[in-house]
Amino acid sequence: MKGLLLFTFFLNIILAANAQKFMTKNGFISFYSHTPMEDIKADNNQVVGVLDISTGEMVFQALIKSFHFDRALMEEHFNENYMESDKVPKSVFKGKITNLASVDFTKNGTYNVTVEGDLTIHDVTNKISTKGTIEVISGGINANSKFNIVPEDYKIVIPGVVRDKFDKSLAVTVTMKYTPIANK
Amino acid sequence: MKNWVKIALIAVVFIAVGVVWFGLHEFNLKHPDTSKAKPDFVVTASTLQKEFEDNEAAASSKYINKIIEVRGTIASVTPADSTHINVSLKTGSDISAVICTFKATGDHLKFLTGEEITLRGECSGFLMDVLLNNCATVINQK
Repeated sequence: MKGLLLFTFFLNIILAANAQKFMTKNGFISFYSHTPMEDIKADNNQVVGVLDISTGEMVFQALIKSFHFDRALMEEHFNENYMESDKVPKSVFKGKITNLASVDFTKNGTYNVTVEGDLTIHDVTNKISTKGTIEVISGGINANSKFNIVPEDYKIVIPGVVRDKFDKSLAVTVTMKYTPIANK
Repeated sequence: MKNWVKIALIAVVFIAVGVVWFGLHEFNLKHPDTSKAKPDFVVTASTLQKEFEDNEAAASSKYINKIIEVRGTIASVTPADSTHINVSLKTGSDISAVICTFKATGDHLKFLTGEEITLRGECSGFLMDVLLNNCATVINQK
């Protein structure tokens, strides 16, 4: 009996802890750059994201090969020449909402947040800080952010002839629609 | 003009046209139509997931960039961005599935949770789940 009570006690803690965690396996990250010839754009709809609303910690993980371009050749160059996705298949972001107190997770609404953390692309990790929004909705949380990254910061070598054609930085868009882990 | 010069000129023109045609063809190349492509592998969702879970490195070199025909039961259907939809297939694991991204066309309104389907897609690899892209249904049973 005592064992059962103890078990229930821990089960409650686990469930309570889980209620603070939100997740998606269908997160969206895209990047975009304009060139005089054509726009470079790739979308990834298979991003895994976890958000812990008790600590504000956020983790994203994406496969490089899940980024898709309209042109097959552009996708091939992206994977083979620039990202070397056979050697470095994943990108990860680990960070934290720094102004967690300004988000009321019990009340539906859109809140402005700042997120800081480590972004690892192409096996190179850089600290980034970006603004975004947390949208509390019934049954879930949406997170949105837009920021720029410079490929050279991640040792992504783009030959001069190609490099001159597009902007110095790429615009990255992140859209996550989280649902509570406990309900999964 | 001497004959051999004429022949050389014609050859040069043909080669130039060929190079331009090949270049444009490569440049404009689209992704393979997985609804028509011959699959490299035919597996069930459970087998595919288990292979990645047991030995990710081996499964990665076997399946990544290959066209895989997968049969399984739909666990969930989730709209991704405005133009894509993710269909998750049940596997032997509670936390790991096979997630297949489709272009959202009218067809996909037909996807129902619990339904058994066969689809083809290009394998991108493994995060928590096996990820397939550029998917197309083969037989939408029921």
